[in-house]
Amino acid sequence: MDKVLRIDNVSYRYKDAKKDEYVLKNIKYDFEKGKIYAIKGKSGSGKTTLLSLISGLEKRYEGNIYYKDKSLKKMDLDTYRNSNIGIVFQSYNLLPHLNAMENIILSMDISKVKVKDKKKKAISLMEDVGLTSSLAKRRVLKLSGGEQQRVAIARSLSYNPEIILADEPTGNLDKDTENDILNIFKRLAHDDNKCVIIVTHSTNVCNQVDIVYELKKNN
Amino acid sequence: MYIIKNALTSIRRNKGRNLLIGIIIIVISCACAITLAIRESANKVVSAYEQKNPIEVTIGMNRRSLMESLKQDDKSQEEMINAFNEIKEPTEEEIINYGNSNYVKEYYYTYSLGVDAKDLTEATDSLVKETTEVKTEVDTKRRTFPGGDSKFPGGPTSSGSEETTTSRRTTTKKTEKIFNEKASGGAFTLIGYNSYEDMKDFINGNYTITEGEVSSDFNSNSCVISEELAQLNNLEVGNTITVIDTNNDKNTYELIITGIYKENTESSSSMSSMFSNSANNIITNINFVKQIVSNNSDNLTPSITPTFIVNSKDDIEKFTNEIKEKGLSEYYEVTSNIEELENATKSITNVKTFANTFLIISLIIGAVVLIVINMINIRERKYEIGVLRTIGMKKSKVSFQFMLELLTVCMFALLIGSGIGAATSVNVANKLLENEIANTNNEVGDIGKNFGKDNFMPDMDAKKNFKVANVNQINDMNAIVDFKVLGQLFGIGIILTLISSLASMIAISRFSPLTILKERS
Repeated sequence: MDKVLRIDNVSYRYKDAKKDEYVLKNIKYDFEKGKIYAIKGKSGSGKTTLLSLISGLEKRYEGNIYYKDKSLKKMDLDTYRNSNIGIVFQSYNLLPHLNAMENIILSMDISKVKVKDKKKKAISLMEDVGLTSSLAKRRVLKLSGGEQQRVAIARSLSYNPEIILADEPTGNLDKDTENDILNIFKRLAHDDNKCVIIVTHSTNVCNQVDIVYELKKNN
Repeated sequence: MYIIKNALTSIRRNKGRNLLIGIIIIVISCACAITLAIRESANKVVSAYEQKNPIEVTIGMNRRSLMESLKQDDKSQEEMINAFNEIKEPTEEEIINYGNSNYVKEYYYTYSLGVDAKDLTEATDSLVKETTEVKTEVDTKRRTFPGGDSKFPGGPTSSGSEETTTSRRTTTKKTEKIFNEKASGGAFTLIGYNSYEDMKDFINGNYTITEGEVSSDFNSNSCVISEELAQLNNLEVGNTITVIDTNNDKNTYELIITGIYKENTESSSSMSSMFSNSANNIITNINFVKQIVSNNSDNLTPSITPTFIVNSKDDIEKFTNEIKEKGLSEYYEVTSNIEELENATKSITNVKTFANTFLIISLIIGAVVLIVINMINIRERKYEIGVLRTIGMKKSKVSFQFMLELLTVCMFALLIGSGIGAATSVNVANKLLENEIANTNNEVGDIGKNFGKDNFMPDMDAKKNFKVANVNQINDMNAIVDFKVLGQLFGIGIILTLISSLASMIAISRFSPLTILKERS
C-alpha cells in the first residue's frame, strides 16, 4: 500500500451558507499510487469542490487532507501545486497567447524542475500523450479540444508529479477521444505508478477506473 | 528569468493591448517632456539671471532709525549733524571681518574720499550757518586846555580839562560751515576701485564712458571724470587735474584724465537739479586713494562702501545677524537687492509655476488613465492569472510579471514620447529663452562700451567675474531635453507604472484562481 493522499473527515460549506448547510460532510477517502480513481456524483454533490480542496485551491475547510502524511494546511500550496500534483481541467485552462510547447515549458519553469533541455522534454511529453511534434509551435487556440486536453495533460506531467487530478477531463470530448484520454490516464497510473483522481459523472469513465468514490448530495 | 521571458512573450503576443497602453504613455510623456523642458528652460533663465545679478548685500546708514533716535532727544539740525558725525563708520578691517563669513561668496569695497581740487569749479550741498555778532565800543576822551573854559574856546582864560564819551556799535556777520563729514570733506569725491569687476555702475550701465576709457592699470594716477565736470572746466582726456588733501593743502596729487563718463540713472535727469549726482565724482583706483590717506598725518579717514555677495536668499538674514554680532552699529542697516531680483524673474517664475502645475495635472491624469487601463487589462487577463495561479505560480511572481510587462511598454513609450517631446520643446524653450539670449549677447559688448573699450572681450575668468551668464543658443535637442530631463521622465514613468501596478497587484492578490476558473467555465 503506497498511500499518497488521505482525506480525513473533511467537511466544507460555502461562506454564505447556513451553519449546517454543508456541501461536503465528513469525507474520508484514501488514495494510493498506481491506481486510478473516479469521484462521481450528481451536479451539486461537491465533486469539483472536493477536487479544489485536494488541489489546494480552496483552503477553508474542516478536517484534514494529508499529502504523504503532511497536512496541506501546513504546506506551501503554491509549491504543492507546482511540484506534487498535476491538474487537468474540463476547459483545459491553457494560456491562449502561448503555443503548446510554451505552455508545457512555462509549467516546468514555475515548478523549477531541473531539466537539461526543456524543449526536448516538452516534445517528448506531447508525444507521450499522442501529439505530434509538429503541433508544438501551434497556438493552443488553433488546436482541437482533444489536442488541447492532451497538451493540458502533458503540462500536468511536465514536473513529474505523483498525483494527477482531473476535473471532468473528457466532458468536452467525443467518445473516441474520451477513451484515448482515459487510456493515457490508465497508463500513467498503472505504468508510471501515479495516483490519478478523476472527477466525473461519466459512467464510461467510472467503468474503466480502479476505484470509484461516490458523492451524494448533503452526504 | 522565466518571468522576464514570459513577460516579453506576453507583450509580443498581445500587440493591440500594449499598443493602446503605449500610445497613452507616449501622449503623457510627450506632454511631460514639453513641460519639463519649459520648466528646465525657466530654471536656466532664472539661474542665468541670478548668476548675472548675484544677491548683493550692502551696509548703509539706517536714516530712519537715526532720525527717530535724534528726534526723540529733540535736537537741532546742527546737533543732529554733529551726532551723525559721531557715528563711526565700519573700518576696512571690520569689513574684511564681515566678508570672512560662510554666507558670503565674495565681497569687495570702494574707497571714497573728499578732496579739493586746484582750479576746478566747486559744487557743494553744505549747510551754511550765519551768525551775527553785535559789538558796542565805548570811547572816552579827556581834553585838557590851559586856562579858560575848555568848553568855550576863546572864553575866559582859565586852565582845566574836559571828558567826552562816544559809543560805536559794530555788527559782525560770521558764517560757520556745518557739513556732513561723512559725505565729503571737500568739493569733490574721489572714488577708488580695485578692479573692473568692482565697478558695478559701469557694468550695470549706470555710468558709460563717452570719451577715452577707464584705465586697466589700477596702480596708476589716472581717473575718469563726469561729462559735466569736464564741460564746466574745459577738461579733455589727457589733461591733468590736481587734487588737494582737504586737511593739508600742501599735499597735492596729480591725476591724468583717461576718460569722461556720463551718468545714465534716473536721478541724473532730475529736473530740480542742475547737475547729476555723480557730477563731482572723480573715479580712480583704490591705491591712489590709499596714497592720499597714508600721506596725511591727521587721521584722514576715507569712506568705505562694501558690497557682499551672499550664497543664497536664505543667507541674507543669517549674514545680517552675524555682522550685527560682529559689532555693526545699530544705526547701520543691511540691505539687499533680493526684491529687485525677484521682481525681475517674477514672470519667468510664473511660467515655471504654470509648468509645474501642468506637469502635476498631466501626471495625475496619466496615473488615473494608467490605473484604469491596468484595471481593464487585469480584468481582461483574469483567466490568465487564474491559470498561472492554478499551476502554482505565486501571487508575487504573477504581479511582478504584470508590472514588468507594463514597465517595458512604458519605457519604450517614454523613449518615443520624450523624443517627440524633445523635438517639440526646442521651439518652445528657444522662444522662452530668446530675449534672455539676446540680452546676454548684447551685454558683453555693452559692458565693453561702458568702460570705453570697443573690442572688449573679457577672458573666461574676467567673464566669470563680470557675472555674464553663460546662456547659449539652443540649437540641439540635448540643450533642453538633456539627461536630467530624461532621468526625470523615466523616474516619472517608473513611479506611474508602480502606482498603476499597485492597483493590479491588489486585484491579483484578491483574485481566487478557483473563482476565476469557475467564472470562465
